Amino acid sequence: MIEKGKISAQQMAIMMYPVIVGTGIISVPAVSAEYAKNDLWISPLWAALIGFVAVYIAFQLHKFYPGQTIMQYTEHIMGRTLGKILGFLYLVFYIQMNGGGIRIYAEFVTGVLLTKTPIIVVISTIVLVCAFAVRGGVEVVARVAQFFFPLYVLSMVVIIVLLFPDLNYKNIFPILADGLIPSMRGAIVPGGWFAEFILVSVLFPYLTNVEKGRKWGMISVFSVMMTFMVTNLLILFVFGETTSRYLYPLFTASRYISIADFLQKLDPVIMAMWVAGSFIKFSVVFYALVICTAQWLNLSNYRPIVFPLGFLTILFSIWGVPSKMVESEYNFIVFPVYSFFVQILIPLLLLSIAFFRRRRPALR
Amino acid sequence: MKWASVLGITVVVMLITLYEWPKMTKNLKKEKWAFVTLTMAGWLLAVLLVFLPSLPGPNDLIDMIFKPFGKLLQE
Repeated sequence: MIEKGKISAQQMAIMMYPVIVGTGIISVPAVSAEYAKNDLWISPLWAALIGFVAVYIAFQLHKFYPGQTIMQYTEHIMGRTLGKILGFLYLVFYIQMNGGGIRIYAEFVTGVLLTKTPIIVVISTIVLVCAFAVRGGVEVVARVAQFFFPLYVLSMVVIIVLLFPDLNYKNIFPILADGLIPSMRGAIVPGGWFAEFILVSVLFPYLTNVEKGRKWGMISVFSVMMTFMVTNLLILFVFGETTSRYLYPLFTASRYISIADFLQKLDPVIMAMWVAGSFIKFSVVFYALVICTAQWLNLSNYRPIVFPLGFLTILFSIWGVPSKMVESEYNFIVFPVYSFFVQILIPLLLLSIAFFRRRRPALR
Repeated sequence: MKWASVLGITVVVMLITLYEWPKMTKNLKKEKWAFVTLTMAGWLLAVLLVFLPSLPGPNDLIDMIFKPFGKLLQE
């Protein structure tokens, strides 16, 4: 096997959590509020369904082809040529997704904190750090995630507690004034993010106890859902109807914190949290990309291609990307469909083909 | 200025190669090929982007394919 490290199912859950929350948390209230208005806190419920489906598909596929990543069984299921083509689609998707995510991250950092730094510097530095983590292998990425996870949760709790005096609970009413449809439409963009849970199919082969993989995958989806619901509720209580007007609502809300004129300007806490979460997210996706590329090319060692792929990721965050990625049509309209197509529909197709092949082995 | 960027890109690519090349032993022939191909592709694309910053990228292709479906969902 190309990767000799092993991780536990809990570590997998901790790695997958920032993949969705890392870049999502800062903009999820705004994107959901765009359609769901003050039902935005219901949207993560619908979106999480896609996450549960993704984990289920990945687990079932792994049961058919134990010890293989999505790249390997795609070839087994679809045949060599078609498998390679589909595999290439995955590689392009993940390098594009990571490039887009890094772009959103860098726009945020240069937009609110490092206003005079060229964006390419912010992009390159985070990719370099991620590349070193990925080069260390799956165990290193898992431990990095484990190290940052408690700090991440702690800063989240601190922000929530300190925002308590600013909350206006009446903002939640009326609940479901226009039925369920607006909250479902608000779930389209987060649903595209939840589809990223199909990445567990790259991590399953490296679990010490695969049987626990499904349980912990589901726990991870559930905690992401809860995080988004709490964030959305919090932002709704702070901003009410105007939520969708803010580009980064959580960040703006953290600027409101002022306890006895003493505890103020906590936005760097959010910033630190965002950088840590994004770092884990990009590392995990980058790791999946590197493993998949190595398997696509039938390499026996993935380390030599980490830096070249990192270099390409930097280019993909610049090449043909709209200048305000986070507000762009691509991010809002195109990416959710693209993500759903590549990460849910194609694996579902693979699963059904694998299922029928297993039932009639004579046809193989 | 543009040639300075090209020089900078070349230096980065060379640094990557200097870091990675000695680590690859003789029996990693395939890996060397993969490394060279990916690095050259990166270098070429970076230089292209320096001279043609508005080069249509894969995002534009994806836009074309998936936008109609995305619009359908927004209705």
